[in-house]
Amino acid sequence: MPQPDAPDGADARRLDALLEQVATQDRDAFEALYQQAGGRLFAICLRLLRDRGEAEDVLQEVFVTVWHKASRFDPGKASAMTWLSMLARNRSIDRLRAAPPRALDDVSIAEELPDGDLQPAQLAERNDEDARLQDCMQALEPRRRSLIRAAFLDGASHDELARRLATPLGTVKSWIRRGLTQLRVCLEP
Amino acid sequence: MNIRDLHHEDGQPPSADQQAGEYVLGVLDAAQRREAEQRISSDAAFARLVDQWEQRLAPLLEEVGSAPVPAHVWLRVRRELGWATFDTAPNARPWQRTGFWQGATALAAALALVAVFTRPAPDAPVPTPVAVTPAPTPAVEPEQATRPVTPLLHDDGRAGWLASVDATLGKVLMVPVPSAPDAQGRAPELWVIPAGGAPVSLGLVSNDRAHTVDVPAALRSALVNGSVLAITLEPSAGAPHPAPSGPVVAKGDIANL
Repeated sequence: MPQPDAPDGADARRLDALLEQVATQDRDAFEALYQQAGGRLFAICLRLLRDRGEAEDVLQEVFVTVWHKASRFDPGKASAMTWLSMLARNRSIDRLRAAPPRALDDVSIAEELPDGDLQPAQLAERNDEDARLQDCMQALEPRRRSLIRAAFLDGASHDELARRLATPLGTVKSWIRRGLTQLRVCLEP
Repeated sequence: MNIRDLHHEDGQPPSADQQAGEYVLGVLDAAQRREAEQRISSDAAFARLVDQWEQRLAPLLEEVGSAPVPAHVWLRVRRELGWATFDTAPNARPWQRTGFWQGATALAAALALVAVFTRPAPDAPVPTPVAVTPAPTPAVEPEQATRPVTPLLHDDGRAGWLASVDATLGKVLMVPVPSAPDAQGRAPELWVIPAGGAPVSLGLVSNDRAHTVDVPAALRSALVNGSVLAITLEPSAGAPHPAPSGPVVAKGDIANL
């Protein structure tokens, strides 16, 4: 199955074209989009929700939304994969926030969380955009880096992070905001 | 602004850029997310900041990778969009000339139902159908307490799916013996083949999840003893297909209805 593993390559452009076809209500393009992007979107939902049934529900919701709202996709702003991924993330996080707070054990952060060091093979394959982000993530203080990773990849909220770290909410927010600002400055051209 | 923000270390409210970053990062609670979304639709500058954060952080998702895409979710998407899960295509019947399906029917009929229960699986780790039989029964359970099960067998006699047919309600519960997705990305498609007739698609099925297939009213008459259920591997695009194009991977004859 073709996977758009290289977002800067031909796969990415094909995905952009498919999404633009979906905006014209092309059902065949929509099915092809499901085949080519569904696996990555499903992985994002699974990672955030940690429940197969919930992840399937959200994946369904995401594709129904894609069918209705594909015309909002602007290839000048983002790649199709980024647009779709953010839609999947947002729907997954909305579902997480609508549910009762998760047990603390389900929110992995800080010391237990891998800090995102890449293996040599991954280093060789990563594209420029990815490389810059990884370098800037590595430049963050480890605590800020862990918090940002836990939030972005595992869907942890401010409250969950504060409870888990047994740290006042305001302090956790402040750490994250400083981390974000440091990241933006580092990534500025 | 949350009252608790007054107590954070800096004593300064977050900048618009930090708020956009927090939204994309996903740390906000439900109410704060709704506020941020309203601001995205009403404040173009804020929306741009959100776009920029999405661009910046998206590469982190590379490490999440990909998971096998569940075929039955595609069926649910189609259903929710109100698309027919079955398209009649009476003029597309080239397979009738090939004789292949008649052969397949005869072969399937020759495979006695009991074979799978008596013959041990040649290579062990595949669960026997007996172990998989107590499948969840559909929620809609009328007067009938039990229902026969049709094993759909691979060529080597192992069961690939168990089908439980409810001809009255027009439903077929498909329980797969979980298997790896097709390396070429094709999806399993279920066909019903009336005795002496041509295969008609019932749509895609899952290779690892039990689910119910709705059979259109016009096809329910085919859910009778003597008909064959078969699975072929097909491109997911365009399903249900007017005719099978891929290899038959499992089949079984409906019996004991």
